[in-house]
Amino acid sequence: MSALPSIRRLRQPSLARREALWGYVFLSPWIVGFLALTLIPMAATLVFTFTNIDLAQNEPVRFVGLDNYARLLADGDAWRSLLVTFKYAALSLPVGLIIPFGIALLINSRYIRGRAAFRVLFFLPYVVPFVAGVLIWEGMLNAESGWVNGFLHFIGIAHPPNWLNEPGVVYPALVTIGIWGIGAGIIINLAGLQGIPTELYDAANIDGAGWWKTLRHITLPLMSPVIFYTLILGMVEVLQYFLVPLVINNGTGDPGGSTLFFNLYLYKVFFTYQDMSYGATLAWLLFAITLAISLLLFWSARRWVYYAGER
Amino acid sequence: MNSRRLVALVLVAVPLIVSACGGLKIGATEIRWFCCLGGGDAEEQVPVEKAVVERFNASHPDINLKFEFQPYDSAFDIFATEVRSGNPPDVVGPLGIGGGNAFPGLWLDLTDLIAAHDYDLTQFPANAVDVYQAGDEGQLGIPFAIYPSALFYKKSLFDEAGLNEPPHKYGDPYVMPDGSSVEWNYDTVRQIAMLLTVDKNGKDATQAGFDPENIVQWGFEPQRDDLRQVGADWGAGSLVGADGKTAQIPDAWAASWHWFYDGIWKDHFSMTGPQFESDDFNPSDYPFFTGNVAMSENYLWSTYGVADSGDDWNLAAIPSYNGKTTAAFNADTFRITKASKNHEAAWTVLTYLLDDARADLLTTYGGMPARAGEQAAFFDTLSEGFTQKIDWQVAIDGIQYADIPNFEGPMPDYNKAFDKLNEFATKWEATPGLNLDQEIADLRDALQVIFDQAQQ
Amino acid sequence: MRSFIITFFAIAIVAAFLSPLVRAATMSVKNSGQISQTKAPLYPADPETFIYHGHAYDVYNVPVDGATRELALVTKGRTESEFVDPAHPDAGLITWEGSWRTLEPVWVFAPQWGNFLEVWDLINYPRLLFNTIALATIGTIGTLLSCTLVAYAFARFRFPAKGFLFTLLIATIFLPAAVTLIPTYTIFYKLGWIGTWLPLLVPAFLANAYDVFLLRQYLLTIPHDLDEAAQIDGAGPFRILVSVVLPQAWPGIIAVGVFSFVYSWNDYFSPLIYLSTAPDLQPISVGLAAFHSIHYRSPALIQAGTLMTLVIPVLIFIVFQRFFTRGIVISGVEK
Repeated sequence: MSALPSIRRLRQPSLARREALWGYVFLSPWIVGFLALTLIPMAATLVFTFTNIDLAQNEPVRFVGLDNYARLLADGDAWRSLLVTFKYAALSLPVGLIIPFGIALLINSRYIRGRAAFRVLFFLPYVVPFVAGVLIWEGMLNAESGWVNGFLHFIGIAHPPNWLNEPGVVYPALVTIGIWGIGAGIIINLAGLQGIPTELYDAANIDGAGWWKTLRHITLPLMSPVIFYTLILGMVEVLQYFLVPLVINNGTGDPGGSTLFFNLYLYKVFFTYQDMSYGATLAWLLFAITLAISLLLFWSARRWVYYAGER
Repeated sequence: MNSRRLVALVLVAVPLIVSACGGLKIGATEIRWFCCLGGGDAEEQVPVEKAVVERFNASHPDINLKFEFQPYDSAFDIFATEVRSGNPPDVVGPLGIGGGNAFPGLWLDLTDLIAAHDYDLTQFPANAVDVYQAGDEGQLGIPFAIYPSALFYKKSLFDEAGLNEPPHKYGDPYVMPDGSSVEWNYDTVRQIAMLLTVDKNGKDATQAGFDPENIVQWGFEPQRDDLRQVGADWGAGSLVGADGKTAQIPDAWAASWHWFYDGIWKDHFSMTGPQFESDDFNPSDYPFFTGNVAMSENYLWSTYGVADSGDDWNLAAIPSYNGKTTAAFNADTFRITKASKNHEAAWTVLTYLLDDARADLLTTYGGMPARAGEQAAFFDTLSEGFTQKIDWQVAIDGIQYADIPNFEGPMPDYNKAFDKLNEFATKWEATPGLNLDQEIADLRDALQVIFDQAQQ
Repeated sequence: MRSFIITFFAIAIVAAFLSPLVRAATMSVKNSGQISQTKAPLYPADPETFIYHGHAYDVYNVPVDGATRELALVTKGRTESEFVDPAHPDAGLITWEGSWRTLEPVWVFAPQWGNFLEVWDLINYPRLLFNTIALATIGTIGTLLSCTLVAYAFARFRFPAKGFLFTLLIATIFLPAAVTLIPTYTIFYKLGWIGTWLPLLVPAFLANAYDVFLLRQYLLTIPHDLDEAAQIDGAGPFRILVSVVLPQAWPGIIAVGVFSFVYSWNDYFSPLIYLSTAPDLQPISVGLAAFHSIHYRSPALIQAGTLMTLVIPVLIFIVFQRFFTRGIVISGVEK
């Protein structure tokens, strides 16, 4: 990704300095933002984790050493909620990758009519304001009057599940709500598919490769950067997942604690139980976990992500 | 320009610019009234509150009162963020007893301000003042609104079933269809509630062939915001023992929960959780408002929307349990935050809301005035909103049966315990076939864990 | 044939996908009574009524002697009820044996179009719309300006610690909002920015990782030959950006712009906390959520309000969607 032929740079070191200087100039908006709005607040929160800050602050603020971390180790709720998050991720991540990819394949199919209309219609729910969207789905999934169970009744299922109140079915219900906002994911996948040179498909056609073989050997490898991108974003999203259960049942974790996600627990410690220091400790743990998993993913990406144009 | 003149210029200019940007009153103290951590966010109430703020500002040139409205769903987060970031609101309310307990240590002890301004607390009943007396934290509030509970019922549904109306006077018996007089207790309520529960074929819940999957009218609904409240209409109590750390379930509460649970799943006179959550069965959060529920235990505050149920509702006595009657009550007031930067100006606002603006606010909140002498006038105003004649005396009488100690009393780690309670409530309302004795024991154990952790 | 099957399949999926919006739309033209009516049809309908002795009574389809008659129900009873024939009210009451609840009401189509007007007035729609458009537009401009510059730096320049800085940028994606909330609020409070648009707009001008990444990827696909030609002509880096790179980068810029616009349009939490004290400055996302809480007794109004907020972002997407997919490059395939 060099901007200039390297030979010239070797001869003129001052040019390299000028280039670096310009690079920093263009970078400066982000550097200012990073320092003021990310690094300083992060450092402040890190300091929080060694203190006893809470909402009422009836005791004077003081350093408590590693008390909050010791409490974290012994906090069953925290580790249980982390497990809940991982369990949910095991279902929601694959679905969140496959469905937008599948719909993008469908819209990109050369046999489809009215592609632009489909593109708009699938994007539509993405612009529904978040809380409004969750409320709409709460109505759809209601065991008594929702359309989902209405449909299941219609096709002859006498006792469809109570989606939002039974531990066994609540994850599929939440995943369904999540799928509604995949408009952006579809567009990104679609963009990736349209970036695949058609000559490759033509060549595969001539070789007599079927739909599956083409998908397996051309589409998937060339789409791997997009899949990786959506995987990373999906991973971040699922680890920080909490708003939907918060809106649906006020964050009680119903049914039976199965929706007490880690970030929801963190949120409750912070705002409901008003324990800012411990909340900050949980937040830092979440950050560390996210970072560790993403490092793992980036490391694995060397093996399966194919960047055609990278130099 | 020498430096002194520059400083002087800045000193003059800055307040001018600030006041030009921020408000209309130069040099006025800004006081923020934060709503709504409890009530006060219904569609009829917000315009009244805004009008009160305007009137205050018109009559107080030295204070610039700002109405900071946050709907209940987001109010807790915003409030906590503002307080913790050093930008606290000054006056908060209306706030119930439980809402106050949800923020322990945050409220200003008013004792000194009451003394400095000679504020007369003797105009209130002593027990109403004591509600806000919080041990060593001091006097955290001044009585304002009282919400007695009563049994709301819909007359036409009783007529259709050929049933007599429930008694309006505490202590009166109920006359069954066969002419026999029986005690007005929860067993009686259960019997008539089943007769008032009807499926789509017109069969009631006592009849053979009743179809519980297709109920179109329910006999009874408790106020189900809080399991403690369900229990408190059966008997006063607390989940914390006298020692302040032992979890307990009052017997009356356990009995009420059994009755309510069976009412949903066996007797079918109350809505299931999913029905209650459904816009199609319960679009307004209070099933009674739909007109498809015959009886509902609720507070006076539900007068704000009860007109939706039709013009034939009235109030009746809360039934008794084991020969004793208890009517849960609630109370709202405004509080000053300890972190407020101007307690004196906040006090001016507080007393304006409690005194000068009380007529408007109490009417819109459906809150009975804490001053006994003003109650008659209050009910006259409240009556103007309804076409039928309502027996308000029932609500006034209910005060004598108030649950003391109040069910919203303090608990160790209040918010966590309250969360746990809601977790069980949601489960019971959504799941048939539970062993409720076991569930209640589990709830007690779970509360004990929370109380124990809070002691550390 | 194949195209018919695939298109039909796509229609079926889209229908299921959008059914919640259909449900919201049907609710938005009902009133609470029409929603909670047992037996009510899906479309907004009221039972037909007949006025008898000054009272309105619902009309039902009543089977009488083998024929179905439309009669108004005057006195309800469990085993027998009294009806009046709207055609012959003078004939007096007709007693009918059976449960009136088994009867089907006579429904009249009665959509409540007024709900939309009511929401428009209640929510102060013009004001919220103005705030939202202003915030989203300024925010999008800020995002495009800052992210283009930063992406340009990462795509075209060599400087020490570039890899480290890029990793740092990407790592900000992994930061949970709770980590920075209280200190960030405190900073904005100390600056006196609470109750103004600054906490929402200033960060937009300071770039964000998502959009920098997307733009950088797009810029990487633009060949360098023109840059170099311009450089030989003596153009500085800024001139090259404006007159060489940007004209080739517009699909990427449109894509990021639309994403950023929709994001600001729906951004809820930041305006909620920073504009809590300034209701006149709040955008529609906050106004709508407050509307939900205040008018929870009117689910129809809530749905009407929701649908009204969709119009503008959808229009923007429709206008720009042609260019949209072209502007997103993740794989780094050179064009």
